[in-house]
Amino acid sequence: MKQFLISTLLVLMTCGAALAEPTADGKALTVRTYQFKYKDADKAAAAIKALMSAEGSLSIQPSANSLVVTDHPDNLKQIAAALAAFDAPAQAFKLTVRLISAAKMEGTPRVPTELQDVAPKLAMLRYNSFEDLGTIEVESHEGEPGLVDMPTGYRADFRVGEYDPSSDSVKVNDFRLSKLQGAHKDELTQLLKTSLNLKLGQTVILGASKASGSQRALMLVIVAKR
Amino acid sequence: MISCVTFRNAFAPGTESAEVLQHVRVCDACLDHAAGIDPDIMFRALGGENLVPPGGVDAFVDDVMREVRLRSTEQTLAGRRGMLLSWPRRIAVAATLAAGLSGALMVWQHDKNGVAVPSAMTARSAAIPTRLTTKPVIESYDSANATIVEVPSEANDTKIVMIFDESLPADL
Repeated sequence: MKQFLISTLLVLMTCGAALAEPTADGKALTVRTYQFKYKDADKAAAAIKALMSAEGSLSIQPSANSLVVTDHPDNLKQIAAALAAFDAPAQAFKLTVRLISAAKMEGTPRVPTELQDVAPKLAMLRYNSFEDLGTIEVESHEGEPGLVDMPTGYRADFRVGEYDPSSDSVKVNDFRLSKLQGAHKDELTQLLKTSLNLKLGQTVILGASKASGSQRALMLVIVAKR
Repeated sequence: MISCVTFRNAFAPGTESAEVLQHVRVCDACLDHAAGIDPDIMFRALGGENLVPPGGVDAFVDDVMREVRLRSTEQTLAGRRGMLLSWPRRIAVAATLAAGLSGALMVWQHDKNGVAVPSAMTARSAAIPTRLTTKPVIESYDSANATIVEVPSEANDTKIVMIFDESLPADL
């Protein structure tokens, strides 16, 4: 009987020691290698940097188009999911851009019916009179350029960048808004050039004016969707 | 069978007379009388007319030993039943259960922490991680003199960003 009890105690002690191991493993770093089929490893590295812990590290292997990531197992799960979503064939995105001329005017505010949905938000920017300059809707795949002319004399051109699963956003590179001027509308003046991160489904109001006290501004209401 | 008077006349200590011994088996008064003189008469009388048990001595001995073994087995089994419920056994059972539960918990935790992270090629089902990061709307702007103001908002609320740029034309 004594032998049996001693054996049982030994089993319990072994189990206790084994139980302590997972806690230690949770803090340990693990190394994983991810190889990409559709996207570049360096772009993938940029996409997952925000998901990595302070102890994590990564290295890019351009020859194999792969990424070696070292991080905690919990982080690696999220990173793996993000990379799986990232390394997909070029996705199509629909971009809707509404162009609005905003001004601060004395007297009664002027808000066209078609702008009622965004007027409260625009009013936060001290403007009370709005004019709809047109809406463009364009569908484009990752990496493809887009160019749209509006009847009101504005032109927008851009290149749809990579989808970033870590922020559920798509990058719009080299977004340029230009204005056709001149007697024959043949002189193109660039108004602004920027690169944007657009979270899918979120409405972004991008305003541009000479100074914070300007009476006029050009507003772009942009929504990116799949 | 002889009468009591005949018995008392014929009785003598140590007698082996069948008639005498037969009489004490059925007559208590004579048995008491005879036992007072010869205490062993009662035992001799037990054998009756035939001192050999039915089936012979060997069969009798076998029956007795069978009975002894049966009782012995019953006592052993009763003892084992008692042992199963004894406290050392209970402790042992509890320890085994604890060890089993600990082992199961260990395996569960190991699976939880040690699940192989799916590779980029095979884990397409988990398209979007649960923890989303936030990026600035304007990543770059092609002017050095611009001031960019991003109005804070909730995660999915309308985002407002203003660019104040002296280089912009007045007639936007």
